[in-house]
Amino acid sequence: MLTMTNVKKVFRTDLVETHALRDFNLQVDEGEFVAVTGPSGSGKTTFLNIAGMLETFNEGTYQLDGEDVSHLNDNQRSKLRNEKIGFIFQSYNLIPDLSLFDNVDVPLRYRGFDAKERKKRIEESLDIVGLANRMKHLPSQLSGGQQQRVAIARALAGNPRFLLADEPTGNLDSAMAQSVMELLKEINKKGTTIVMVTHDPQLATQATRNIFVKDGQVSEINDVVAMHVANG
Amino acid sequence: MLELGPIFRALLRNKIGAILIAVQIAFTMAIIVNAVFIIYDRSQQTKRPSGIDEANTFYINSSGFGDDFDIKGTITRDLEAIRALPGVIDAVQINAIPISGSGWSMGLQTEAGAEHDGQGVAVYMVDEHGIKALDLELLAGENFAKSDIRWRGPAGSKWPAKVIVTEAMAKRLFPELSYSEAVGKTVYINNDEPMIITGIIDKLQAPWVGWDNLDNAMLSPEKMEFQSTRYLIRTVPGMRDQLMKTVEELLAENKSRVIDGMRSIDYVRERSYRGNTAMIKILTTVIVTLTVVTSLGIVGLASFSVNRRKKQIGIRRALGATKASILRYFMVENFLISASGVVLGAALTIALNMLLVSALSIPPLDWFYIPAGMLVLCLVGQAAVFGPAKKATEIAPATATRTV
Ligand SMILES: Nc1ncnc2c1ncn2[C@@H]1O[C@H](COP(=O)(O)OP(=O)(O)OP(=O)(O)O)[C@@H](O)[C@H]1O
Ligand SMILES: [Mg+2]
Repeated sequence: MLTMTNVKKVFRTDLVETHALRDFNLQVDEGEFVAVTGPSGSGKTTFLNIAGMLETFNEGTYQLDGEDVSHLNDNQRSKLRNEKIGFIFQSYNLIPDLSLFDNVDVPLRYRGFDAKERKKRIEESLDIVGLANRMKHLPSQLSGGQQQRVAIARALAGNPRFLLADEPTGNLDSAMAQSVMELLKEINKKGTTIVMVTHDPQLATQATRNIFVKDGQVSEINDVVAMHVANG
Repeated sequence: MLELGPIFRALLRNKIGAILIAVQIAFTMAIIVNAVFIIYDRSQQTKRPSGIDEANTFYINSSGFGDDFDIKGTITRDLEAIRALPGVIDAVQINAIPISGSGWSMGLQTEAGAEHDGQGVAVYMVDEHGIKALDLELLAGENFAKSDIRWRGPAGSKWPAKVIVTEAMAKRLFPELSYSEAVGKTVYINNDEPMIITGIIDKLQAPWVGWDNLDNAMLSPEKMEFQSTRYLIRTVPGMRDQLMKTVEELLAENKSRVIDGMRSIDYVRERSYRGNTAMIKILTTVIVTLTVVTSLGIVGLASFSVNRRKKQIGIRRALGATKASILRYFMVENFLISASGVVLGAALTIALNMLLVSALSIPPLDWFYIPAGMLVLCLVGQAAVFGPAKKATEIAPATATRTV
């Protein structure tokens, strides 16, 4: 349901040309939990951004749910992103001026749900991450792990088909990281497809599939041992 | 989908800048609305017609010297000669020029005796040519006859038996009568000298433009036997400037007097209302400056808040915000600030107006200036925030993942 074929992404800054992705090929099927690992600068975030339509690419094709998205305009991409994709970021990326309730509300408003529907979804998703009793609080009043849970609630509230996570546990200690991982696994069990970039092999092994990205290409798929070797 | 609630709540968490801008908008509105109103009021005042044919009229002063100067003869000959000039509609000896700033005032009362109050009135001494030379319309009664005109000596004298008053003056003297019914009524000047109203003229302003009773004026049928005299000359359209030269040369032929002053009524009006003109200029500058300063303040605050929220905008984009939603966010946010600003501004505007009404003699503001001012200030706010808001829409969605 997520298919990238020979995707190329080049960043051009002044004199430097960076080939962030070169002939990137990947297929992710419905219900998978894919962990993406690879050295720094190998193109993991770039892949995730393109998968989430945050960035465009130069060559190749990308089909999301069978739809070729390369020809979509900015508005169409925003709409599709809003409907199909939930994002989780390393630095949580909650909006500091908004309460937890309003934070989870953000994508729902862009979706155009009415107030009743939004309230229901916000309460449900905050309940799933165990923070329903903190709705009125500001992000700054929460621990890192709790903030990441709110971010997950925000990503879930719109019932996306895909959850894209870029090092969601990167800022957390191992206990908290593991609890976030448990949460993601639970969500995956309920049917949401997850693609997660991580540096933590411990966590990667818990996914249903591992891919290893190197120099802008998928170099190995589902070979945990090889990955360990490559990581040194 | 206006997002009013979250925008408002987010605003409350960063209120200092917003409050400063709202207060600035409020003060700007109070000052601008009052300034616009004063400009309107003053320009209306400046536009009030004096009643005379301003574009085609001028006056000239002549001062005779020497004990043997023939005053009556000179005046009679001057007027005959001027009236005979081609292009002159009529000319008259007159004691004062409307809206010029200086003239004579007296009081008229309907009952004799010092114990009764009089109505202030501007006195114009003219002969039977006065009505035509001043371009007045006789609404009722009749003009002075040649035989009504008498000479007023330098030592002063009693007042003539007849008087022509403006319609406004007739209304003041006899509020319960129509102006035509005032014809034939006796009024008293100098407490007890009777004058009979023999005519009503439409409009003639007094010399003092700041006077409340500017339309109170009367014509007294007299010529003045004074060494210094003044003629008012009305010409056919287009001939005024040429005739000013001709008349000056004509009068200068008599070597026993000097010409000391000749002005067009256009000049007189310009000079009398110079204060208003200057005030309008100053207030216009104030309005423009304040609008620019406030707009810059809004642009500054909005740019600052767009920069501060770059990451947040990227996050919103990643969560599905279109460019239009980002634009709308900042427009709505600005509207909330402007709206609270103009509500406060409405109160300040009224307060400032009350202050101006009591301190300067400015009439109270018409109510519609308030909503109009609120609307304009909100529009200025929206226009000012548009640039920074447009910039915000250009922030890439990838900002959410690419920055820490
Ligand atoms: N906006 C950009 N402009 C120029 N080069 C960029 C830009 N974004 C990424 N790159 C480059 O593209 C390459 C891939 O970057 P990317 O962020 O995808 O790596 P990554 O695998 O996510 O690394 P990390 O593990 O450190 O997060 C890098 O060389 C990076 O410097
Ligand atoms: Mg990365």
